[in-house]
Amino acid sequence: MTDYTYLKRLFQAYYKKIKPNIPVVNSFEQREFGFIPWDKHIMIRHLSFKTSEYLLKDLIQTGHRHVYSSGSLYLQPDNSDMNKKQYIGCDLIIDIDVDHFYTPCKDNHDRWYCKECGESGNGMPSKCPKCKKTKFNTLNWICDDCLKTAKQEIIKLVYEFLIPDFGIRESDIKVAFSGHRGYHLKVENEKIRKLTSEARREIVDYVTGENISFEILGLREVGTNIYGLTKRNMDWSQKIVTKIEDILNSYSDIQLERLLLKFGLKRHIITSFLNSKDEFIDTISKNRNLWIIPNFGIATWKSFLYGIVHEIGAEIDEPVTIDIHRLIRYPGSLHGATGFKVQELGLNELNSFNPLNENNEKLDPIVFKSKNLQKIEILEPFVPSTKIAGDVFGPFKKGDKIEVPHHIAVFLLCKGVAKTL
Amino acid sequence: MEIHTELIYHYPWLPSLNSVLSSISSQDPLEFIKKTFETYPFLEIRERLLRLFRAAFENLEQIIEYQADKLNVHCYLILKILLYILDNRAITNRIANLYSKIAYNELINEGDAYIYDIFMDLNLDIKYYNIPIQYGINITKDQEEILQTNFRIYVFDYLKLTASLRDEYRRLVNNSLSDGYVFIQKRNLIRLLQEYVRQKLIIKQEEDKATLDNFKNEILKLEKFKEIYDIISSEWSLKEEEFEYTFEMDFKSGKELSGSYPPCVKSTLKKAQEGQNLTHTERLYIVWFLNSLNYPEDKIVNIFSTLPDFNREKTTYQVRYAKKKGYIPYSCQSLKSYNLCMAKKYKDELCLEGYFSRKYDAQREIKHPLSYVRIKQYRTSHKQKNSDKQIN
Ligand code: SF4
Ligand SMILES: [Zn+2]
Ligand SMILES: [Zn+2]
Repeated sequence: MTDYTYLKRLFQAYYKKIKPNIPVVNSFEQREFGFIPWDKHIMIRHLSFKTSEYLLKDLIQTGHRHVYSSGSLYLQPDNSDMNKKQYIGCDLIIDIDVDHFYTPCKDNHDRWYCKECGESGNGMPSKCPKCKKTKFNTLNWICDDCLKTAKQEIIKLVYEFLIPDFGIRESDIKVAFSGHRGYHLKVENEKIRKLTSEARREIVDYVTGENISFEILGLREVGTNIYGLTKRNMDWSQKIVTKIEDILNSYSDIQLERLLLKFGLKRHIITSFLNSKDEFIDTISKNRNLWIIPNFGIATWKSFLYGIVHEIGAEIDEPVTIDIHRLIRYPGSLHGATGFKVQELGLNELNSFNPLNENNEKLDPIVFKSKNLQKIEILEPFVPSTKIAGDVFGPFKKGDKIEVPHHIAVFLLCKGVAKTL
Repeated sequence: MEIHTELIYHYPWLPSLNSVLSSISSQDPLEFIKKTFETYPFLEIRERLLRLFRAAFENLEQIIEYQADKLNVHCYLILKILLYILDNRAITNRIANLYSKIAYNELINEGDAYIYDIFMDLNLDIKYYNIPIQYGINITKDQEEILQTNFRIYVFDYLKLTASLRDEYRRLVNNSLSDGYVFIQKRNLIRLLQEYVRQKLIIKQEEDKATLDNFKNEILKLEKFKEIYDIISSEWSLKEEEFEYTFEMDFKSGKELSGSYPPCVKSTLKKAQEGQNLTHTERLYIVWFLNSLNYPEDKIVNIFSTLPDFNREKTTYQVRYAKKKGYIPYSCQSLKSYNLCMAKKYKDELCLEGYFSRKYDAQREIKHPLSYVRIKQYRTSHKQKNSDKQIN
């Protein structure tokens, strides 16, 4: 029996066990479904099911590796001709996944291999340090810190943008842990469903701060004076100035320096900023907008503001929101790269949710948890350590023959870095 | 809520037309036109319709007289029938632009209560505040200007209405938004209505030409209607001839260049000529491209005069600014990534196959639209020597 057959049987058994309890997305019969099987790298698309029972029946039979459904609704979801599907509308989907943004801990647990020159290393470089090419093979690992960051981004998105600014009701928001390194968020609302891709692009820009115009918000140069933004404007200005205040009031000079370096400011400019910091705090807290810091020209202010905007905006995977024909992981299904469950969450459950060490059994995505040990052999040159439910396993290297609890074995097998013995 | 009939006379594009004046709007078009000609003086109808078309053909932004009476509703409906059978995108766009601008000029003089009613009728969610609410402030030096408004609009309705208006000021990220509503000045709110009206008049062209021809044959049997139709058609064909020369342009040395434009430029200019909206990228591209060829400022500005949101002052400023900065038009690679490359669609040989370079002694591909122009020019001037595939 190959390991894929083994995993497939495990998945089948799981779906049998939960029958008939799989979450039902709304307008179920108008959604398109798609699967990725174990034996081929293909997406089987353009399927639909009358009810969730039929879906489960299918999953029990196939034990598919990945299970998706569309954010869109169609009159004919199973028509393979996009023009004949008869599009009705699409929920607003937002994906936050650490795969798409940098976290410092990646230097410890993510590995890359340059496809061009074979160089390898840790972290998330934008280009190969040796040959400068940008095509990589990666081995990305799950990590508590990364998942916490992703959760923080979702919370920010909901409580700093969707609810206060967009006025979206809590009851219209659905969140799910993706089963790997991120979260999905879905907003179900009649008026949103009708929005075009361009309109969704506007929403993306709003929650990320992309395409913001500081000039329109009020930044301008008059003679030698620079007029900045003020909190009294109820647009992004308010977010920006409040954030600047927060940062200036809570960061030490060393932290500030690090931040400004990240924004791309030069050292002598940073020194100048630190020297004028107190007056600047005074200016903005009094809602004045004549911004004076020696060596700060309009261009420097802009780099500074872009940096701040980036701190405020949510790190979302933009194409997912803009593309109205995407498929997203089905809640309650298993993620084929981890063996974890895609876990739906209420907004009230989000704060305390801890995917790799969840106490509430109902919410625990690690469905194969067991004390039974299983023997496997490591195939990958280097496998970072994995921390689940407080226990640490690894790091491992190629050829290691190890005995680990069942759920860790399933995880390493799904990741494709080990084989059964 | 029952909307005032006067509002419908004034703004016949309101959805309530169908319920309040259902006797006219639901009639068979032939019957409807017949009845109209029986009820109202023919010369008056003809005059009103021609006034619109002539103004649209001249690219005017207003007509002298707009009468908000019952006949106005009839004329609106006949106008839509005319556009349908004329089946000409350029005419439709021009009429839509003009008609929506007229609507703007009328609406801007309406009281707040009517504006509110109109939005309700359109099933668009706005909030009205008797006492204006403050949402910001503009401070320069010692001057403070309070930004306030009586209106807020539901964010997703705002996005729906602004989807095809792409200027920076209207982007959501540059606006004030809270609790699901965008703070918006009355003037800007009405600008959104203008866009709504424009969209409403851009009726889809009939795909089934047989259906269209049948209908057209039937309806042109009505002599009076045919008379109006014929005048419009013939005046348009005269206009069209004029357009042929619109984009001729002089290069530095006075050479005529429009024949040497690459497909990506031709197709964008054509879109503008038809009065279709251009994306921000398309606008920049045209400005930069024509600036690089030293095309005169006023002529560049005029190209944009057909666009729905044209503003002469702003456009002139932008063209001049781009010139001053010396921006270079996008490369083919960028244009491809913006889906603006039209090489395949136009089956353009030079774009698709490149040219033979004597300098490199090899076939080279076109990498920049300006080199396209250069090579085309070179070929024209060397035609007599029959060496049109070479350039160094
Ligand atoms: S190849 Fe270049 S010049 Fe030709 S149409 Fe495409 S973008 Fe324009
Ligand atoms: Zn490399
Ligand atoms: Zn991490």
